[in-house]
Amino acid sequence: MDDAQLKKILQDIDVPEHDINEQKRAVNVAVSEFKAHQQEKEKKSQGSSFLSRLMGRNSQNGRETMEQKSNKKLLQGTAMLVVAGALFAVPFMYENMYETVGEGTTNSTAGGAGGNNFSSIATNISTSGASNPFGNLFKDDQKTTEVAKLNQVELGLTDGSQTRQDQQPASKPAPEMEMAEADMAAVSPAPETSMVEGLVANRAMKAKERKAEGFARHLIAPVPPQDDVHQGYYKDEGRDKFEEFNVNPFKQVSAEPVSTFSVDVDTSSYSFMRRQLNNGQMPSKSAVRVEELINYFDYNYALPEDASQPFKPTVTLMDSPWAEGKQLMQIGIKGFEIDGPQPKSNLVFLLDISGSMNSPDKLPLLKNSLKLLLSKLNDDDTVSIVTYAGHTGVALEPTPVSEKSTIINAMDNLRAGGGTAGAAGIELAYKMAEENFDDEAVNRVILATDGDFNVGISDPKKLEEYVEKKRNTGIFLSVLGFGQGNYNDHIMQSLAQNGNGVAAYIDNLNEARKVLVEEATSSLFPIAKDVKIQVEFNPNAVAEYRLIGYETRHLNREDFNNDKVDAGDIGAGHTVTAIYEIVPTGSSAVSVDPLRYGDAEEKTETATADTDFSNEIAFLKMRYKLPKEDTSTLITTPITTALEGTAGQEQKFATAVAGFAQLLQGGHHLSGDFDYDDVIALAQEGKGEDTFGYRAEFINLVKLTKATNQ
Amino acid sequence: MDDEDALIKLAQKGDAVAFEQLVNRHYVTMFKMAFKWCGNQNDAEDITQDACIKLARGLDSFKGDCAFTSWLYRLTINAGKDWYKKQNRHTQKAEPDPEALDNVSTNAKSDSKLYAKQVLAAVQDLPDGEKEALLLVMSEGLSHKEAAKALGVKESTVSWRIHEARKKLNAQFEKEQKYG
Repeated sequence: MDDAQLKKILQDIDVPEHDINEQKRAVNVAVSEFKAHQQEKEKKSQGSSFLSRLMGRNSQNGRETMEQKSNKKLLQGTAMLVVAGALFAVPFMYENMYETVGEGTTNSTAGGAGGNNFSSIATNISTSGASNPFGNLFKDDQKTTEVAKLNQVELGLTDGSQTRQDQQPASKPAPEMEMAEADMAAVSPAPETSMVEGLVANRAMKAKERKAEGFARHLIAPVPPQDDVHQGYYKDEGRDKFEEFNVNPFKQVSAEPVSTFSVDVDTSSYSFMRRQLNNGQMPSKSAVRVEELINYFDYNYALPEDASQPFKPTVTLMDSPWAEGKQLMQIGIKGFEIDGPQPKSNLVFLLDISGSMNSPDKLPLLKNSLKLLLSKLNDDDTVSIVTYAGHTGVALEPTPVSEKSTIINAMDNLRAGGGTAGAAGIELAYKMAEENFDDEAVNRVILATDGDFNVGISDPKKLEEYVEKKRNTGIFLSVLGFGQGNYNDHIMQSLAQNGNGVAAYIDNLNEARKVLVEEATSSLFPIAKDVKIQVEFNPNAVAEYRLIGYETRHLNREDFNNDKVDAGDIGAGHTVTAIYEIVPTGSSAVSVDPLRYGDAEEKTETATADTDFSNEIAFLKMRYKLPKEDTSTLITTPITTALEGTAGQEQKFATAVAGFAQLLQGGHHLSGDFDYDDVIALAQEGKGEDTFGYRAEFINLVKLTKATNQ
Repeated sequence: MDDEDALIKLAQKGDAVAFEQLVNRHYVTMFKMAFKWCGNQNDAEDITQDACIKLARGLDSFKGDCAFTSWLYRLTINAGKDWYKKQNRHTQKAEPDPEALDNVSTNAKSDSKLYAKQVLAAVQDLPDGEKEALLLVMSEGLSHKEAAKALGVKESTVSWRIHEARKKLNAQFEKEQKYG
């Protein structure tokens, strides 16, 4: 063999065609690593804590990805699990839906996992009848019920054990493959088709099953260079990004009597955590934001008597269930519900259709979610669709909702994939909103993505500024997150905050219904913006306090009166709950010793002060702006000892959620014997009517977590 | 190429879109290199992904003193080495392609494709240093000087390693050719 021969052999090596999905994945991982690297560089050079708050990132992520990838055998197993897990929620929820449509029952709880309560969607939709184009989608009853049953038989599992299956380690490829196949059979009509339609159009079932098998094999086999590689769904892992924070510590009233924070009505942390727990994973600590878990639920707080005020505070006191000698002070507010005609909406959907959205829990779920939202809108509302990251462009010019079929068509025509164009998707979206701007309407851009923010402005800071600038012109931004693996919670949160909108994480159609239909008025129609809360504690009554959660919403004391400082917004019917844990003076639970020096002077000062305020524990101040105003209004109310023992069922439930969240965070402030059973007991006490079953779902989730940790 | 330089400069300044384009543009090059390095698609994909991540963090260190592709080869090869190091911690060396293991002599010459496969397998068994020098020079057509630059070694080292590699390969294949 001479040089020429060797050269020829080496040059002509038959390198197989590369897998386009692998390329996309690698590029995505690299780009996120790149961005992280840039941020680290920036952080080093600027050292701005504000910036790190907005953009801080777990630098381990990229490395974790590498680690995970390095063990391909394990990965293949996990990939199967991820896909199986992601898909599992889908047929599961459809089962429920079909049961309802087919048999007319309203049995809405179906175990702890992802998709309960689908009955109500199905009923909602199907009862709205002829005026609603979705109604007929669900009328293919007989056949679909059969499909659902078939799925159940193929899976050979009950609802409860499905979740267990999900938690199994990746050691049994055979049953998992069956599961994936069965699931694929249910969702199979290629990623781009709507799931609802796909299920109904079950005539082509056989062919699709074959496709599905091909897909499953594709995942297991060592990726042969096949023509159908494009059919494989995108999978991603370990790049979810959450802002890191430290749990609020106890503070001494003598040293820091005032606590200030911004309200937060986001709920994404709850749904993300639920998804992970249902997959048998414990969520990372930074993924658990106590306030978002608490605020996920609707609480029945008193509404203001006077409509001129958007909300009023409900304050209660109860003994802390997790610490002897401490009390919980809960502040709850509920925004008034919009009566009468719903305000007009001018909505622009800015949709991520990058290759990574090619997954059943992403684009197809997104399409169905939007169709649900559509059902909630009025005929004279307008909707437009702009896509980015795959093919940037206008997918739907502003169209009145009365032309529903046009809108639905446009949604169905959306396809994930294709090269990434850097064109300015976000500018296009705002342009559409501006073109159709209606002073009387709610003008809003709704960004839906799985973490790809390649909307045309690559610098996250600039993007925030842009969104903020547009907010001042009256166009707000909400963000809907999808998928898992590359979920960029971080940017989502800060964008929504800057855009006066909500950030919600949608893991299944049930969540979509909650966020987009049930809460449509609150998510879409703000009744108050820049809502800030400030509590001043009376040092004679309270020795120490700790705000549970809201770590990422902390404001400086002086920010409270500064109307230029942005804060959270409240929509119609939104509830917000904040819980302080307080240690009364003289309690044995005081953690910090009193100062030996310098206390005397303070004593005399407060001595004169407390003649008037002897029964006051604290003083609550809230500021808000009406949606179109720039100056804030102040609400104040003293919190007195008379409130002791006023906590009822709503407060108990909120406390249970707070306890659970703190357990997930490691429970630094919980006494050792407070455990999941205590959470369950508290939640049961506070469960109440629970019309939609969310609280029941929570209790199941706690049970699941308890079982996982045993 | 100017366009490429511009892209690299932009990416080095922190432009994520430019970086993405750059990675997309060179993915196949890196993948091919990785495949030649390890000989199977699965590992090649992993290695290429790792190389892409390395690129994200290491692009700043590209100073333009050699061709970008040469630099990428080195990055990919390094990713390959690291990958195998990590792999060996968990498992023994990846299983060799069974086809390549077949008795070298049978039909080797009549089926040139199979023969090539065997040569490639033999190349993959070479020590890293020899393998990378051989691949860059023989397969990618770099001169010894260019390869030396890309690998960060002396030109004489490249020549020496290629010489050593040739010796080993010849010993393996000459013998069997004689019988063939």
